[in-house]
Amino acid sequence: MPFAAIYVPDFLVAAVVRQEPLLRGKAVAVLEGTPPVVTVAAMNAAAAEAGIELDMTKLQASAYPVELRQRAPQQETAAHAALLDCAQAFSPRVEVTAANTVVLDLAGLELLFGPPAKLAQDLKQRASELGLEANVAVASNPDAAIHAARGFAGITLIPPGKQAECLGPLPVDVLQVTPEILETLDRWGVRNLCALAALPEVAIAERLGQEGLRLQKLARGAVERPLVPAEPPLEFEETMELEHAVALLEPLAFLLGRLLEQLCARLGARALATNELRLTLILDTAQIEDSPQSHEDTENRVIGRSGHRVIDSGVIDSMTRSPDGSITRFVRLPLPMLDSRLFLKLLQLELRAHPPGAPVVKVTLAAEPVKPRPGQGGLFLPATPAPDQLELTLARLAGIVGEQKIGAAEVLDTHRPDAFQMKRFAPSVAPASGRLSRGHPALARVGETNTRETPTRTAAETAAIHRPTMALRRFRPPLAATVVVCEGEPVRIAADKIQGEVASVFGPWRNSGDWWKGKAPRNDADSHGLSWARDEWDIAVPTKQGITLCRIYFDLASGAWFVEGTYD
Amino acid sequence: MIGLNGPMTQSYVELHAASAFSFLEGASAPEELVDRCVAVEMPAMVLLDRDGVYGAPRFHLAAKKAGVKAHIGSEVSCFWFPVSRKNQAFAEKRETRNQELPLLVESRAGYQNLCRLITRMKMRGPKDAPPEIIAARENDLREYAAGLICLTGGDDGPLAAALAEGGIEETRRAVERLVSIFGRDNVYVELQRHFLREEEVRNQAAVGIARALHLPLLATNGVRYARAEQREVLDAFTAIRHHRTLETAGRLLARNSERYVKASQEMARLFADLPEAIAETGQLSSRLAFTLADLGYEFPRYPVPEGETMMSFLRKRTEEGEREHYGRAARPLRQRAKRQIERELALIGKLDLAGYFLIVWDIVRFCREQGILVQGRGSAANSAVCYSLGITAVDPIQMDLLFERFLSEERGEWPDIDLDLPSGEQRERAIQYVYQRYGKLGAAMTANVITYRGRSAAHEIGKVLGFDSEMLDRLSKIVGWWEYRDPDETLERQFRDAGFDLAHPRLRKFLELALAVQDLPRHLGQHSGGMVVCQGQLDSVVPLEPATMPGRVVVQWDKEDCADMGIVKVDLLGLGMMTVLEDSIAMIRHDYGEEADLAHLPADDPEVYAALQKADTVGMFQVESRAQMSCLPRLRPKCFYDIVVEVAIIRPGPIVGQMVNPYLKRRQGREPVTYPHPSLEPVLARTLGVPLFQEQLLRMAMIAAGFSGGEAEELRRALGFKRSEQRMRDIEVKLRAGMECNGIAPEAQDQIVHSITSFALYGFPESHAASFALLAYASAWLKCHYLAAFTAALLNNQPMGFYHPSTIVKDAQRHGLKIKPADVMRSEWLCTLEASHQSTVTSRQSGSDVPTGNWRPATGDFCVRLGLRYVKGLREEAARALVREREPRPFSSIDDLARRVPELRKNELVALAEVGALNSVASCQLPVVSDAGFTFQVSRAEDANNVKRETRNVKRHRRDALWHVERAARHPGPLLEEIVERESASPLAAMSTEERLVADFRGTGLTLGLHPMAYRRPEMDALSVRTARELPGLPNGKRVRAAGCVIARQRPGTARGFVFLSLEDETGIANAIITPDLFEKNRLLLVGEEFLMVEGVLQNQDNVVSVKVARVLPLAITRAATFSHDFH
Repeated sequence: MPFAAIYVPDFLVAAVVRQEPLLRGKAVAVLEGTPPVVTVAAMNAAAAEAGIELDMTKLQASAYPVELRQRAPQQETAAHAALLDCAQAFSPRVEVTAANTVVLDLAGLELLFGPPAKLAQDLKQRASELGLEANVAVASNPDAAIHAARGFAGITLIPPGKQAECLGPLPVDVLQVTPEILETLDRWGVRNLCALAALPEVAIAERLGQEGLRLQKLARGAVERPLVPAEPPLEFEETMELEHAVALLEPLAFLLGRLLEQLCARLGARALATNELRLTLILDTAQIEDSPQSHEDTENRVIGRSGHRVIDSGVIDSMTRSPDGSITRFVRLPLPMLDSRLFLKLLQLELRAHPPGAPVVKVTLAAEPVKPRPGQGGLFLPATPAPDQLELTLARLAGIVGEQKIGAAEVLDTHRPDAFQMKRFAPSVAPASGRLSRGHPALARVGETNTRETPTRTAAETAAIHRPTMALRRFRPPLAATVVVCEGEPVRIAADKIQGEVASVFGPWRNSGDWWKGKAPRNDADSHGLSWARDEWDIAVPTKQGITLCRIYFDLASGAWFVEGTYD
Repeated sequence: MIGLNGPMTQSYVELHAASAFSFLEGASAPEELVDRCVAVEMPAMVLLDRDGVYGAPRFHLAAKKAGVKAHIGSEVSCFWFPVSRKNQAFAEKRETRNQELPLLVESRAGYQNLCRLITRMKMRGPKDAPPEIIAARENDLREYAAGLICLTGGDDGPLAAALAEGGIEETRRAVERLVSIFGRDNVYVELQRHFLREEEVRNQAAVGIARALHLPLLATNGVRYARAEQREVLDAFTAIRHHRTLETAGRLLARNSERYVKASQEMARLFADLPEAIAETGQLSSRLAFTLADLGYEFPRYPVPEGETMMSFLRKRTEEGEREHYGRAARPLRQRAKRQIERELALIGKLDLAGYFLIVWDIVRFCREQGILVQGRGSAANSAVCYSLGITAVDPIQMDLLFERFLSEERGEWPDIDLDLPSGEQRERAIQYVYQRYGKLGAAMTANVITYRGRSAAHEIGKVLGFDSEMLDRLSKIVGWWEYRDPDETLERQFRDAGFDLAHPRLRKFLELALAVQDLPRHLGQHSGGMVVCQGQLDSVVPLEPATMPGRVVVQWDKEDCADMGIVKVDLLGLGMMTVLEDSIAMIRHDYGEEADLAHLPADDPEVYAALQKADTVGMFQVESRAQMSCLPRLRPKCFYDIVVEVAIIRPGPIVGQMVNPYLKRRQGREPVTYPHPSLEPVLARTLGVPLFQEQLLRMAMIAAGFSGGEAEELRRALGFKRSEQRMRDIEVKLRAGMECNGIAPEAQDQIVHSITSFALYGFPESHAASFALLAYASAWLKCHYLAAFTAALLNNQPMGFYHPSTIVKDAQRHGLKIKPADVMRSEWLCTLEASHQSTVTSRQSGSDVPTGNWRPATGDFCVRLGLRYVKGLREEAARALVREREPRPFSSIDDLARRVPELRKNELVALAEVGALNSVASCQLPVVSDAGFTFQVSRAEDANNVKRETRNVKRHRRDALWHVERAARHPGPLLEEIVERESASPLAAMSTEERLVADFRGTGLTLGLHPMAYRRPEMDALSVRTARELPGLPNGKRVRAAGCVIARQRPGTARGFVFLSLEDETGIANAIITPDLFEKNRLLLVGEEFLMVEGVLQNQDNVVSVKVARVLPLAITRAATFSHDFH
């Protein structure tokens, strides 16, 4: 029973070259990492010959006459899929041995595709057509075929019974042994399969155990095992083509409801739930051009190379219109669920927030299958909202205020005033005492009193906590102001809500930080993520309502004045 | 409230400043603070470092020079405020944080109290004790309060802590408590303004309390750095201290950059509303009378028998020594010695130094009694008294050494005696003796302030900037690779070469910070051997603290600082060569049954000088480096003084001063002996008009520039001083002025100044060179006469010296010594001697590994057995267990070995097998088996003789051993344990030569077989490559090819970018000189390749042979990982 193995050498490079056929035949190196450290992760033989070595930095590698490309997992996935396609075009029984290696069962294919030699030739040809230059080997067992494909370039045919002889010259590392065994074999001077095959079996078992015996059998090409065909992935996807394009959300929701019920029933039958729904809508392309949505979507497409713009926070995500006029939308859930009504509501909210912009002609709904999470609350824990209800509420809120403006504010550990980030809101399990944490992020920073206790608090800060504080009402964003300064102190202010002579002034209070992040360009108010420096003043400005106490600051990076807030 | 408009009135003095000696809590060196004082015209400053006076000497000296008054004090950690109940939980949860109490020294009594207080705190726990253990208690403060002035502190001071914990009332009580401890006149309420709201709240409370308690207000700026931009360094330090990155350090970092040294006007503006707080600074400064000039140090008295004074006791001991050393000498020498000793004793008596000499004598006596080799070095060798007392081994009368270099009346400084001891345990015993003799608070080691240097700075700064370990490694490698740098070798270029783009802002910041932290203190270490002793309480002179090593105490100052402060020290230095000598003597005694007495070595041994003249000096002390080797054939030492010159001449000082060539030429008679000025002839005559020793430089300065003794001393200190650049510039100005006065011509002036300033790069004093020359002679003598013992001792004390063990082994083999491989049946942990009747087997067999010298078969009947310490990966504990287990009964098989020495791990067995150390086990127990059946060994205890009877001696190879080890290392379980495997020959092929070489270098770092080049000689011959031995026989200027294994790469700072390679082949070592251009073109090749072929013109002058390389090619000789000693 013959088997054929297809192996793609330098797979990372091959995946890149497949996408860029112009690179074929050139010296190519693939980089990975994030700046400032980007290093060479793989290269082809031509690049190695040119002098490229693994772990060189990008700057070093760029000194050589090679093409440098960033590693792209999507390309590798696509290359692997292509390899699988190539094999599956010939046989339904295909084993995925590694990303770069597949094995086919050739039993019975001779009548269809001719003798093994021709079949091997065809396989290589097909792989090449799919953009992959592969080695192909045919042998009477899968492992012999795999090792031959890894070890010999081009096409290799191993006649039955000749495995040991043919594989003999190959180095032992084609067996992909553990480093320890490889080291032992190296010490023994056993460097090729022929030498390994020749060792006495009992002695091998005594020294390297069963693994040693297995390797020896592999070296002799004598391991007979059944192929482990790749299982088609567990897919839960429902599609509905519509006779008439649907332009309104209501009928679309009706259709979605049906699809969801089917999906949930299928998932339920397998005792699975889902934490991600993928909705793909094929739009009536004739009407897209007129759609007001189209322009925005075109921009969206530019953002994500893979066609999807994914934002980490929030329920949802985004939509992209692909060239064929389809829209894909993800709904991600914080925990596995299986509630078709809830899903429907979430999808409705999503579509309401981001209308497709054209009538829909085809709907595909897919669910990512995951194991459901058994849930049981603690006996002494306060009741928290049901996760599904909470999710729904958050989705509704996100629909109203925008996805990035919902969540829990988390105060950052920095001197930068009013520095916070939005984290996805998830009710934390309260401590056993039932006392709500004083340091709840959402409560921090009220009235400039930081109630979080960290080891970093100085005595002076502690002192500040114990005195009565004034609450500061912040303007977010701060109001731009025009301030007249005399002898270093502000004397007059003009801003949106506060105008007039400064009656009294306290300050400056000087803050600066993040100096290692580089300076913001002058006159650029948005210095977020860069170094910052500011002088704050507390000023009293007489107004019609009386005296207004407010905090203003001079941003040294942008050279501009702002009103940060008013004191109660 | 802060008002920016105020009168510019009183002069402000900064009374609360910390330097980088607060260890990661300050960002400027003390000198920078002083410089800044000068810049802002501040008349005085107080240095308050954290729990110590670490930076005080440097601060004091810098301030003295700059005319700034240096007040001393310390921020002392306290933990004595009651934590209110409310905050108890909080206090437990958070990182324990002490209050920092600023204490200013008013008087000498105050200084002594401060030192004692800090010593008590520090000695309460081990070096890294938690802060609450170390913190001062209230009763400590009460006990040592006299003479100290207390401030209420900044944001980590007691006032701020009390305010935070208990509000105004608690604060008031805290301040009252301080008043009760220090007295009403000695407590100042401190105000700081850094433009922070919280701080202003505290200031308001402080003002209220001060007014209520009628205490003076004092403005300070809580200085942590000299200039505002150094806040970044402080932030980086903060992150390092808290083991965070800058990104994650959050609010641990400073809020702004206001803690720099501010000018009077700036401070007056800040405190315009409280002018009295500024005025008070000046008044308080005038109260602080103490400076470090008033230290009150006293050297201990040596206990003498009743009826004796220290002087009379010293005189007796000296006279005893004199009789011993000079009793049989010629009369004129004896008389000169007597006169000199009298003169020295008179001066010692006058300066009241008898105690010091007796203490050193006592240590030396202890060492002698204990059989510890000891020898004085340094300027002490100039003293006939030291020689008579046995402290030094160089006869200063015979050598005509300058006593004043050691001790002079006008210098008013303690003499400096350094003792060399064998490193390791022996030295530790001597150190412990001193502790035991002078008590815990009477003796201490000097500190060694560990500063940020290239790699450590790069590593830590990279870490706080959040670089990952891979990037840190890459960055660290950029720093300080070679000693020499091209002028155009900019940092940008180095970064680019390493694959980094400095356009990246974070890398740019990395560079700035790494440069900014250079030389700033990181932490306090312990000096390797410097000890200070004191009459009575050393802890009242300088605070003491525990060292990391148990039982050790260190002072807070380093060696230089101690010297600056006039504290006498004795250096007990560990010297690897002393251990080698000691070990050699022990082996000679044990194995040869002969006594080698270093004190009575035959002088002028012809073999020693023959070896030196040929530069056949691998392994010899001080004369083995490549530079020494290239000088020896030109200098051709013929007497002991020539070795002294040889040791001194190859130093950066004489080399940069361009003194080497003139000296050698004059010696060879190729250049007339001239003097920069006739007046210098008496000084320079013995070195042919060329200054080579420090003493000569000092004399030159005194004669030519009219330097006083004190000035000459300053010059001497600058010469040996690491922080010397500025000093040297100042001295140059003085020198020129002096010479101008003496009417010395400008050219001669240049020459003299050049000679003197170049010594800043390091030169030896003559006496020191003489002490080292003695050791050099002793090592040479041992190598010539007891090669086996010397080689074994040298191998046992690696790493040391210039060469890798593989080179030492090859050199010894070339001299006819047989070195046997490590063998579990014979080897000890260390290399040992074995009787041998085939001492030249190696050379005969090898054919090309022939002796190079005209050595007699000096190895006697001994060969060296490589010790198991050379088997990489083998732990000493396991090796010693193996040796122990072998004693009663040899191992009968590898199985037997594995069973009886369970300490041996599998990887250790494999390592032993791989280097052939198990070959003899395998070969002596191979059972004779007549049929295919198994042989069972019934009992483990079966007599080895029986086994022998059943075995035949078959030579096994390493793969056999590896094969059996793999089985032996798998524990078979109790049932099968007793079954002995029939250890037939393995199915594995023996290692090829190449494989053996690889295994040798991988497993032991050396090979005892032929040199790798020997195997390729036919190919080399075909390429017309000359051997190292052939080169000296070829004419100068001939174009040649040479090749070998690179054993040393050097790019000395003194050689203007030239690179020197040492290429070893089977016949010896060839030298290659690479020009800077060639180096640039072939950088990777020259730095990375292990074997090279060079082609160029042979330079063969005065028997100094090297190839000036025009072309260089890589050679693929072996895959074995050879070693090169690269100087970077």
